[in-house]
Amino acid sequence: MPSQLSFTGFACKNLWRRRLRTLLTLCGIGMAIGAFVALVGFSRSFEHEWERLYSSSGTDIAVVDKNFMNTSVDQKLQDKLRAVPVVSMAEPMVFNIMDVTPDVNALVFGWLDDSYEFSSLTFDSGGRFHNGKPEIILGQMLSKSLGKKVGETVDLQGTTYTVTGIFQGGTALEAGAIIMPLDQMQILTSQQGKVSGFHVRLKPVPAGESAEHYMKRAQAEIEAALPGLNAQAAADRAANNQFVGLAHAVAWGTSCIALLMGILGIANTMAMSVFERTREIGILRAIGWKAWRVMLLIQVEATVLGFTGGFLGIFFGWGALELLSKLPQTASVVSTSLSWEHLVEALGISVLSGLIAGAYPAWRGAHLSPVEALRHD
Amino acid sequence: MTSPQLEVKDLRKSYDDGRIEALRGVSLTITAGEYVAISGASGSGKSTLLHLLGGLDVATSGDVLYQGDKLGTTVNLDEYRANRIGFIFQAFYLLPTLSALENVQVPMLAILGDANTRASRAEALLREMGLGHRLKQYPNELSAGERQRVAIARALANNPTILLADEPTGNLDSVNSARIMEILTGIQQKRGMTLIIVTHENDIANAAPRHIRVRDGRIVE
Repeated sequence: MPSQLSFTGFACKNLWRRRLRTLLTLCGIGMAIGAFVALVGFSRSFEHEWERLYSSSGTDIAVVDKNFMNTSVDQKLQDKLRAVPVVSMAEPMVFNIMDVTPDVNALVFGWLDDSYEFSSLTFDSGGRFHNGKPEIILGQMLSKSLGKKVGETVDLQGTTYTVTGIFQGGTALEAGAIIMPLDQMQILTSQQGKVSGFHVRLKPVPAGESAEHYMKRAQAEIEAALPGLNAQAAADRAANNQFVGLAHAVAWGTSCIALLMGILGIANTMAMSVFERTREIGILRAIGWKAWRVMLLIQVEATVLGFTGGFLGIFFGWGALELLSKLPQTASVVSTSLSWEHLVEALGISVLSGLIAGAYPAWRGAHLSPVEALRHD
Repeated sequence: MTSPQLEVKDLRKSYDDGRIEALRGVSLTITAGEYVAISGASGSGKSTLLHLLGGLDVATSGDVLYQGDKLGTTVNLDEYRANRIGFIFQAFYLLPTLSALENVQVPMLAILGDANTRASRAEALLREMGLGHRLKQYPNELSAGERQRVAIARALANNPTILLADEPTGNLDSVNSARIMEILTGIQQKRGMTLIIVTHENDIANAAPRHIRVRDGRIVE
C-alpha cells in the first residue's frame, strides 16, 4: 500500500519542518495553559477545602449576614434559630484572618467550647479550650510553623493565649488555623455580642421528602424566622464566599493574561509561517485548492499547536500544583487532584486559543493572489 | 467546425495603475487537443497570458472563455484550476516537506475524498513518469529532471483537460529538456489533452504544430 497523505498529516508535516519554532511555541502555549491549570486548580482546590470545612463538621446551612466579613449578626438570634423546627443544632461562630507573626497568616475561628464542630477535629495532644479563658487550640500545620506545643503561649495583638490542644483538622484549612473561645474572639475583634454567622445542622430528612426539597424548605423557614439574614446551603456558601471569589478572580485574571501571551505566540508563529510559505500557498492555490481549504490548513496547524500545547500545559500545571502542595506556605490549601472537567476545560481553552491565534494568518494566507504568491521570494 | 476549448477576447492586463501594460488586446482560440507553443522575449507578456488562460490571475479587461463559459463569472476559477488545468512551472514548485508520492497527492486532497485512491493514483502517475523507484524521495533528493517529472505527475493528478507549462525546460540541461518534452508531447497525444507551452527556446517553440509569438503584449503572428 503506497503511503497516504492526509490533510492533517500535511498540516503536521508543515509544523515538523520548523521544529525549533514549533517547540518554542508549544512551550509558550504550554506555560500559559500550565498557569491556567495551576492557578484555577489552586482556586478550585481552595473552594473544595471550604466545602470540606462544612461537610466534615456536618454543617448543612450557614446563616450569615449579606456580607461575610461583616460580623454584625447579633449573637442573641441563636435562640430564635434553635427554635426553628428543622434545626437540630445551631452554633454561633466568628471567623477572620490574622497575622500571627509577620510571616505567618492564619484563619482564626471563634467557637463555643461545646460546639458540635469539634467533632471534625482529632487532637494530637491536649484538648478543647474553655469559654471565658484566654486559651486557643492550633492546627497541626500551624503549630509546626510557629513551633508551639500544648502549654506554651502565643501572643495575639497584645494578649497572651495558652495553647490547650494541637489538632488534626478535618480539612487543610483547619490544619493551618487557630480556634479560640467565641467570647475571646469577640474581645479580640472588638465585636462583643456579634458573630459572623451561625452554622446549622439540620434534623434528618423526613421520610417521603427529597433532600433537595428539605434543604429549600429549611432555608425558607430559617429566613422567615430571622428576617434580614441569609440561610445558605453549605456548598453554596463555600463556593460564594469572598475568599473563594477572590481566589477565582485572581486565578482567572492571571490565567487570561498568560493565555493572551500564549495566543500571541501562536499568532506570531502562524503569521511567520504564512509569510515564509507564501509561494507554497500560491502553489496550492495554483493546483486548485480553494481559499477556504488553505485557511483550513493553517487553522488545523494552529489547532494542532493549541492541542499539543494544551497537553504540555496540563503536565506543567500538574507539576506546579505538585510543587505548591509541598511548600509550607501553600500546602494547606493546595490539592494535586485535578478533575477531568478541569483538564477538558484546559484543553478546550488551548484549542480555542489556537483557533483564535490562527484566524488572521489563515485569512491572510487564503486571500493571497495565486500569481502574486508564486512570484514571492 | 470544432468549437474552441479556450477563447480569448481582447485580453488586456496592466499593472501599477495602468503604467505597465503586460497584454494589450490579445485574442485567440485554442481547440481541444491542440499543442500550442507561446514564445517571446522576457517581459513580452507570454507568462501573463498563460496565467490568465489558467485562471491564476484576472484580466484588467477582456474575457477568457472555457468551452464558451466566461472564467471568473460562469466558471469558478478554483474549480477550473482544480478540475480542468494542470500547471507545470520552470522552478518545479514541489513542496519540500513532502515526498514525491505525497507531492502528487496534494492536488487530489482538494477533490478526492478517498486516501487509498489518491495514493494509488499518485503511484501510478509516478510510475508512468519512470519514477517508480523514487516514490519516497524528497525533492532535495531528486535531480532537476526527476523533480520536473514529479511536477508533471502532480499536474496530471486530477486528470485535467488542459496542461499549461511555463518554461518547463528552463532549469534543465539538454538531455533532460528533451526527455521532458518527449513526456509532455507523449501525454498530449496519448490522452488527447490540450498542451500549451510558454518557452523562449526556439527549438521547442518551432517543434509545436502551432506557434504563437508574443511581443510587447501583442500576438505578432
